[in-house]
Amino acid sequence: MAKRYTLNELMIIVAAREIKDHQNVVLGVGLPTTAGALAKALHAPHTNLMMESGIIDFEPLVQPNHIADANCCRGFSYATDLFSTFTMTYRGFVDVCFLGVGQIDRYGNLNTTAIGDYHDPELRLPGAGGAPDFISYAKKTVLTMRGGEFVNKLDYFTSPGYLDGGDSRDKSGRFPKGSGPSMLISTKGIFRFDKITRELYLDQIYPGVDVDMVKKDVPWDLNVSDDLSSVPPPTDKELEFTRRFAPAEALGKNIVAELTLSYFLSSKR
Amino acid sequence: MTNNHDKVMTAKEAVEQFVNDGDHLIIGNYTVCTCAELVFEVIRQHKKHLTLYSQSGIFDVEIMVEAGLVDRLVTTYILRSGGKAGGSAVERALKAKTLELEDYTNFNYNARLVAGMHGFTFMQVLEGVMETDLYKKRGFMGEDKYRTIECPYTGKEILTVPSANPDVCIVHVQRADKFGNAQYWGAMGSVAAAALSSKKIIVSCEEIVDHEVIKSSPHHTIIPAFRTHAVVEAPFGSHPSEVLGYYNLDRLAYGLFQSLAATGDGLKAWMKEWIYGVKDRKEYTRHFIETFGENHFNKIKAQPYLSTPADYGTAFTSSYDENGREQYMGITEDEVEKIIEERKLYHG
Repeated sequence: MAKRYTLNELMIIVAAREIKDHQNVVLGVGLPTTAGALAKALHAPHTNLMMESGIIDFEPLVQPNHIADANCCRGFSYATDLFSTFTMTYRGFVDVCFLGVGQIDRYGNLNTTAIGDYHDPELRLPGAGGAPDFISYAKKTVLTMRGGEFVNKLDYFTSPGYLDGGDSRDKSGRFPKGSGPSMLISTKGIFRFDKITRELYLDQIYPGVDVDMVKKDVPWDLNVSDDLSSVPPPTDKELEFTRRFAPAEALGKNIVAELTLSYFLSSKR
Repeated sequence: MTNNHDKVMTAKEAVEQFVNDGDHLIIGNYTVCTCAELVFEVIRQHKKHLTLYSQSGIFDVEIMVEAGLVDRLVTTYILRSGGKAGGSAVERALKAKTLELEDYTNFNYNARLVAGMHGFTFMQVLEGVMETDLYKKRGFMGEDKYRTIECPYTGKEILTVPSANPDVCIVHVQRADKFGNAQYWGAMGSVAAAALSSKKIIVSCEEIVDHEVIKSSPHHTIIPAFRTHAVVEAPFGSHPSEVLGYYNLDRLAYGLFQSLAATGDGLKAWMKEWIYGVKDRKEYTRHFIETFGENHFNKIKAQPYLSTPADYGTAFTSSYDENGREQYMGITEDEVEKIIEERKLYHG
């Protein structure tokens, strides 16, 4: 019988499948770093994993705590700086980058800055970080959304997706041709962008999810692929690696905090 | 795009594959550690009509110009190898009108590479040079040698240079792995910018080392593997210039070069013996030892003065400790599975 998996594990594994061997990959923290570790261990041993802090070609041995975590690996190939990591992206040396989503609109534009009025926010999110720079110039950007939301209009426009849709991104002349978000991995399935309209559509759903469950999160009339398929469940190999590498991802933040504290208290006794 | 492939090849193969007639070619090294073997190989293969970039020419530029490979030269400093009376290959070529030259200051030249390295189209430089003929007299670049713009913040007129992105960089370093992670230390000059601004990079090195050596010292890497096209192992590959940690500048061999280079014929004779007369660095080194003796060869070798290793160690190299318990939660893999089950965390 196939091993059972948690939603977080499924999302990590789906993301890892987007990394091909010999690619230069910029990883944001959390889900993407685990996905990168998985890809490098299983199907992309020559992939060059990078973090924007200037850690180039590293192999994570434990989950990185943030994007400047040289403690997650045992050495790496090239120590450069933040500035140069962004300009190497600008020059077209980054094949894929992974970004998290706060709000997303139908053309893949992102808000990770504030919910509500920017000057009097309901929720102040982390901000831009490196997101606008990476999604502008990486050849391809994979979006991951765990807690975010689909909206008709962003409260704050942090990162450029396909702007007003159609060819507006290319026509702006500010981005390399063919760049932009390529997919969105949500908690319910995988979305892609229509080649002509550049509108987000549902392409694949997770086992146990139906289209109505997806549609109720989306405030516009969501397009669904004519050949909508189910995401292939994790293989045993993918799952074994992910769980051993990142048990915290399977358990979630709250349970990890609870178990960590109780272990600390018990071992002190 | 080039990534973690084995890129080790001979200098001959690398130059055949990655240097073309008509290229903008940059010598990545600056004054020291020059990529002598790669320069020699470019000369042996007679790659011509080059636009040559050199931060500071030493014998490298002289012999390339003497060989008739260079149509245009962008530089800041020219070695007068023949002294005041003898002149230089560059001077002879200028007089013969076979060479066009663009003169920059060291800072301006380097700024062009930094702009190119970062993908910018120009770079602000220091405006004092506008009072000089460096600004006023233009070579083949004409108007595009320097241009001015108004600073949007201060309104002041500021000076800019255009970016440079040479077709290929040839560069010598101390060590590299087979994938092309190149490590260099000492006088940093403009070496990294020269390499990283270029479209293709040929690295020669004193030694090819295991990837593990690179991993434990990433602060020494100046070119990451994904930018490198070829890795050439060329011990003694910079002689008669020096490589920190390996050998000194050879004043004896350099003196021989300079005495011969005082005339075009003398320089040709030197090149016949030391470039065309040997097929690669191995033969060059053998011929060098035969000519100058084993003692002299050993005398210029470096006495080790090892850098204290930087510690890249961390507390954990696995999520689980040696007893199979997760480092922070203290639970085993089986217990993780049990908790996932108990807390109903499985999907679906």
